[in-house]
Amino acid sequence: MAETPAEATDDEGIEVVESIAVRFAGDSGDGSQIIGNEFANTSAILGNDISTLPDYPAEIRAPAGTLPGVSAFQVNLSSEEIYTPGDEPQVLVAMNPAALKANIDDLPPGGVLIANTDNFTRNNLRKAGYDQDPLGDGSLSSYRVAKIPLTTLHKEALKHLDGLSNRQIDIMKNMFCLGLVYWIFDRPIEPTIRMIEKKFAANPLVVEGNTTTMKAGYNFGETTEQFQYRYRVTKAPVEPGTYRTVNGAQAAALGLVTAATKAGLTLFYGSYPITPASSLLEELASLKNFDVRTFQAEDEIAAMGSTIGAAFGGALAATGTSGPGIALKSEAINLALVLELPMVICNFQRGGPSTGLPTKAEQSDLLQCMYGRNGESPMILVAAQSPADCFDTAIEAARLAIETMSPVFFMSDGYLVFSSEPWRIPDPDSIPEIPVTPWTNPNDFQPYSRNPDTLARPWALPGTPGLEHRVGGLAKQDGTGNVSYDPNDHQHMVGTLQEKVDRVADRIPEQSVDGPEWGDLLVVGWGSTYGAIRSAVQRSQQKGQKVAFAHVRYLNPFPRNLGDILLKYDKVLVPELNGGQLAHLLDAKYPLKVISYPKIQGQPFRISEITAKIDELLDS
Amino acid sequence: MTEVTAAPQLTRKDFVSDQEVRWCPGCGDYAILAQMQRIMPELGIPKEKIVFVSGIGCSSRFPYYMDTYGIHSIHGRAPTLATGLKVANPDLAVWVITGDGDGLSIGGNHMLHVLRRNVDLNIVLFNNRIYGLTKGQYSPTSKPGHVTKSSPMGSVEQSFNPISVAIGAEATFVARSADRNTKHLADILTKAAAHKGTSFVEIYQNCNIYNDGEWLHVTEADVKDDNTLILEDGEPMIFGKDRDRGIRLNGLYPEVVQLGNGTTEKDLLVHDEQAEGPELAYLLSRLGPPEFPVPLGVFRSIERPTYEAQLADQGRRAREERGDGDLATLFHATDTWIVPEDSGWIPPEQRRDVSTEVSPSTPDYTPDIHHEVEQSELQALMEKRIATLDLPEPACVKAETTLAEAIELMQDRNLGCLLVTDDSDRIEGIFAQGDIFSQVARREMDMDTTTVGSLMTSDPTTLSRSAPIGHVLHMMAGHGFRHIPIVNGDGKPVALASFKSILGFLGDLLK
Ligand code: SF4
Repeated sequence: MAETPAEATDDEGIEVVESIAVRFAGDSGDGSQIIGNEFANTSAILGNDISTLPDYPAEIRAPAGTLPGVSAFQVNLSSEEIYTPGDEPQVLVAMNPAALKANIDDLPPGGVLIANTDNFTRNNLRKAGYDQDPLGDGSLSSYRVAKIPLTTLHKEALKHLDGLSNRQIDIMKNMFCLGLVYWIFDRPIEPTIRMIEKKFAANPLVVEGNTTTMKAGYNFGETTEQFQYRYRVTKAPVEPGTYRTVNGAQAAALGLVTAATKAGLTLFYGSYPITPASSLLEELASLKNFDVRTFQAEDEIAAMGSTIGAAFGGALAATGTSGPGIALKSEAINLALVLELPMVICNFQRGGPSTGLPTKAEQSDLLQCMYGRNGESPMILVAAQSPADCFDTAIEAARLAIETMSPVFFMSDGYLVFSSEPWRIPDPDSIPEIPVTPWTNPNDFQPYSRNPDTLARPWALPGTPGLEHRVGGLAKQDGTGNVSYDPNDHQHMVGTLQEKVDRVADRIPEQSVDGPEWGDLLVVGWGSTYGAIRSAVQRSQQKGQKVAFAHVRYLNPFPRNLGDILLKYDKVLVPELNGGQLAHLLDAKYPLKVISYPKIQGQPFRISEITAKIDELLDS
Repeated sequence: MTEVTAAPQLTRKDFVSDQEVRWCPGCGDYAILAQMQRIMPELGIPKEKIVFVSGIGCSSRFPYYMDTYGIHSIHGRAPTLATGLKVANPDLAVWVITGDGDGLSIGGNHMLHVLRRNVDLNIVLFNNRIYGLTKGQYSPTSKPGHVTKSSPMGSVEQSFNPISVAIGAEATFVARSADRNTKHLADILTKAAAHKGTSFVEIYQNCNIYNDGEWLHVTEADVKDDNTLILEDGEPMIFGKDRDRGIRLNGLYPEVVQLGNGTTEKDLLVHDEQAEGPELAYLLSRLGPPEFPVPLGVFRSIERPTYEAQLADQGRRAREERGDGDLATLFHATDTWIVPEDSGWIPPEQRRDVSTEVSPSTPDYTPDIHHEVEQSELQALMEKRIATLDLPEPACVKAETTLAEAIELMQDRNLGCLLVTDDSDRIEGIFAQGDIFSQVARREMDMDTTTVGSLMTSDPTTLSRSAPIGHVLHMMAGHGFRHIPIVNGDGKPVALASFKSILGFLGDLLK
């Protein structure tokens, strides 16, 4: 795991470690995200398990060199299976004083700091709030510091290349840094060279500039005496197969397209740009050869309305947004609920309330999605647990939506959208078809007749002769769908909607538990906290503590056996990136009182935080 | 418009639904419904391909009365549903029915954007200059000064001119008619249906309950010819009962002129629906009383590619360039790597299970009641509270009680255990038969001086009466307790759950 000390040193003087986390930090324009991603991809290709987490500044163009402008990208490499980007980095690359200041507290003593001295100018130091140069005042003596004039060396390397503008040269400096990091971590540079050649195929000069400076960075590591330490992370024993990296947005997009293909439907995606959901709109907009029809709506409500219209028209309809967008959509979501049309509503949660923390992750929309609408409004909720899991969860959401003729919430969050991990590419043929059977028989057709098992109503598509019918948001009579204010009709319809959701529990997998079947403590999580909780629980189990872990994918309805499981442990701990919303649902539904562990900082849980909580509960 | 396919000849009646029409008697909506049902068969579109979408308001009840597909959606949002529907299935003929409140107030934003995008829809806006369904508040088209229930001293708001708004929003087809000018209305609706792109039709509609007579000057036979200008493409703008007046342009501004005395048709403005720019259409949209007649007819009708056609075209191009979407290709579209069969990976189910290994002290007994007990009974175990059990009151003693006294009490009353309480009667320990055997037997001690306090188990595990019975069972099974004190909110013992009592409960359950 991330803190694991070096195990051995091989003949080349390279420390072989089980796992290491590297954080790249700089101005938005420094390209930390790009080199972080490349580093992660190369490591994944080498066979490491990886997990990444970008940390974007909230303002896209905060002034260069200032603390609000710092963006970072952390990569965790491991020779074991890993589930999180790591608590703290062992290596920090700081491109300027602000990046140093914003991140140095996370670097443990003995950690490696690589600083671009060219940017440690008096002006930049002042902007970052340093009175004196931390690289010279001894304040960093507990770290292994490499002071490198990256910019100077980079420019030197490109000196002989004519025709590049100063701006182009400036943008390329991250590649020098990447070359150096590749050397330190004993990685090949070829995969990145291939990427550069592909990406800039139209501009050979840019290809040459980028590759030249990257090689220079690599060679600099080799020739300079500065580095006494190199690391190698060996291959992780992972399941055989073909892999690629995905982030949550990509995985969700692939999942929705796969679901549509498996259902034989056109995918319609109506959405209004909002952080962090916009990337799903962008991903899907690029898949037009799959007959994906994306609609960038004029506002959140229009996005929801268009999704309902598309569902009525027979598409696999989906929309995506974040908490503020869900708030705006809620009236239309209720319309979708009572029209009983299938669609997927993706909520990529961010920090709230109000505009809150747009680029940070929180799980604080759980109750909003459960209850945040007028009237009795039961909704099906499923949550993804990791970036790659967004693929499976999106398909599952679509399957449930079509099977029950209902809108389904697909819960994810900013952390899953932005982080990436290896994804074992499935064989598309192994993914089950999603049966879709639109109603065609005009005899005895009733818009609200029901499937006796699922209670789903018929999907009667415009264009089908003889099924002309009207649906609407007014209260109605079951079967005929006629507007009805009859008290019994209303009670019956509201009850039927609830029953329809409840019955989903008959068709979803039972809740599984990782660990002893009975014990002192059960940790219950949902969504993106999966990695941190799972790692923490595994550590506790290795220490001999009687701790188990249940990660709840189906949030409404809960799996049938969940209550049963909860009662088998003395204590139930529920860590969440909110004020205790799942804890609230569990307390309300089951006869027990769980222990809530809320964290609302816009940051994911650290493994160590959960470990500490487990210890505290088991010691008391 | 949708392609015309050979369909059996339909009649007006085919479009009349079985729903009872619920507008106020005399409402202008009836006339509009009648014209719509009249023109439908003439459009030659099979009725299963027609969808009416509405929002909320009197006019929005319209879809219920048309025997086609229909959605009565939510306030102001009909254009958004219609857009999604049309994108999903461009083959449909989609109508949006809205009103001045629905389409220009709460749904104003959607109206602007649907027009700008030129989705192939027909939008019919019933303008009665009032909120009817909510019983008479002023609307965004109510005239300034209009006295209503929500503007008792007169509205202080500038009103919208729907035609000007539509032209400003880059609409490709903009027209106006009136509920009682039936022939004209039918003609305009037919033209709107034929237009490819968003057609926007404003219909002056009389709300005889909350704003009666608003459009009399346009609809009454004796005055309407003098007050309206019927727009005809390519024709000079002549109006009046005697067709003796016209509209002439004076510089940038229109003026009304009397024909004759040297002024001829040649001097008049000539209508051009297809003018590339919106200037003429906009100029006409501003005409109205008192100085000018109200133009009725098509203000603007131009061609521009529709939204859904362009989208479909992009899809075609993408398929041409990249081939039909193939999942396997898509999944592998970035750098991939292969983990070989000999990666050293062990499937989870074959791994040594740390979790079972680390719990040697957990009693082996796992009450696998699932297999024995029906679901409902298991449910009872979880849902029934301890409070529902018939449990004996606990026998309580103080810590100073001597061993002799305690044993005597237990023998007398045939008790398996005593609870030890402090001065405030809160539980501080439990003293059970087992304690006597394990502790007393091993030591030499004076039964009369040794106290219960020195032998009891301090701070015993307790439960509240609201805990599920399953919880008791779990503690007994998991920890080997034979007795569990049940305490109230103050920590005072109120009952004692014994192994025996739980067995009794289980026995009943299984009967
Ligand atoms: S309130 Fe007015 S608009 Fe509404 S139905 Fe009655 S007359 Fe027609």
